[in-house]
Amino acid sequence: MVCALGIEGSANKIGIGIIRDGKVLANVRRTYITPPGEGFLPKETAKHHREAILGLVESSLKEAQLKSSDLDVICYTKGPGMAPPLLVGAIVARTLSLLWNIPLLGVNHCIGHIEMGRLITGAQNPTVLYVSGGNTQVIAYSNKRYRIFGETIDIAVGNCLDRFARIIKLSNDPSPGYNIEQLAKSSNRYIKLPYVVKGMDVSFSGILSYIEDLAEPGKRQNKRKKPQEEEVNNYSQADLCYSLQETIFAMLVEITERAMAHCGSNEVLIVGGVGCNERLQEMMRIMCEERGGKLFATDERYCIDNGLMIAHAGAEMFRSGTRMPFEESYVTQRFRTDEVLVSWRDD
Amino acid sequence: MMPQIANKPNESIIRVPFETPRLAEIAYKVLGVDQEPRRNFVKKTLSLENDVLVVHFQSDQVKSLRTAITSFFECLLLCQDTINQFGDSKKEKLIPESNDNAGTHSSSDSP
Repeated sequence: MVCALGIEGSANKIGIGIIRDGKVLANVRRTYITPPGEGFLPKETAKHHREAILGLVESSLKEAQLKSSDLDVICYTKGPGMAPPLLVGAIVARTLSLLWNIPLLGVNHCIGHIEMGRLITGAQNPTVLYVSGGNTQVIAYSNKRYRIFGETIDIAVGNCLDRFARIIKLSNDPSPGYNIEQLAKSSNRYIKLPYVVKGMDVSFSGILSYIEDLAEPGKRQNKRKKPQEEEVNNYSQADLCYSLQETIFAMLVEITERAMAHCGSNEVLIVGGVGCNERLQEMMRIMCEERGGKLFATDERYCIDNGLMIAHAGAEMFRSGTRMPFEESYVTQRFRTDEVLVSWRDD
Repeated sequence: MMPQIANKPNESIIRVPFETPRLAEIAYKVLGVDQEPRRNFVKKTLSLENDVLVVHFQSDQVKSLRTAITSFFECLLLCQDTINQFGDSKKEKLIPESNDNAGTHSSSDSP
């Protein structure tokens, strides 16, 4: 029996989760929301997390009805992510570990998502599509590692969506990706956008620049261009949102299908914040059904960054015998998914 | 590898007293794990003198020194707040804990 407390704060969400043998005891979270047109910066995000984190720890222990002595391990996000917010989680985790004399474990953020997705959905050995504001990877498990078969070669798909939301000044509440999704539902007018799949990899920076020009034609005037008649451009924001989703989600479906074919896999698991998107889930489900496979996805309680996923991944590590010296309890902005030895899986 | 500091660096020594040597040691361990970002060219050395945490900063530039000290204080305050809220010394125990439970993993819940 392993009871784990997890601390997650690698981006603009700060969350604390408590889990015991696969049973969710607490999962509390706070989101740092910036005004429309602005992204969250590391310093301000860390300030928000510092103000919220101790209250969240206390409320999670109350919700779980536990004393500190009931905990077996404290887990925190070691990386990847933004350094100042990561540091907030790490410092609190270290301090609690020493105060309560409880072992400390650093968890990879991506593996937290994967293990939480596997637990909630019951998927055994799926091809994993991990899509969020900071990561875009196609992952499959093999020989004690979560192998990265394909990934973005520049910005994450969620980053592309978030920055486009900034361009058209969409609200960041509850999240820019969610607001793009809602706006896209009111249009079915497709605009042709660059489709940039490179084998198993994808690229989103070109699409972002292209659609930025569509959204704001007057901005960034190309001085070399001869003055032409202004193009007839009656695209609405909904049209742009719809087309952006159709294009980038089709790209994600393609690389996922290619990985399924390579691995002979019959299951797909979508994790990460963009995995909340129902249109992405629908497109992926269509592909899976055509291949005779099955799609697994979770709702926003677990898709979006949360402390519970760190607690669960950490509990799995702890149960399989992983221990971390206190001197190694630093944070790192880059922490590749395949760097972690998956000692808790035997297959 | 620590970056090279010029012969006449800008320096600052900060002494932080704690209630007990144990709390000072906790802060020393918690705050000593992280290295300063390499490109800042700042050297940070932590040491303990009983219940006082001593931090020595050295830097080429005053602005880097100021940034490093500001960041350190943010981390220190968070560590202290955590100790204040969850440490043993808290009289009114919202989360009761006694020394007898330290290190044990007792649980009254049935599996």
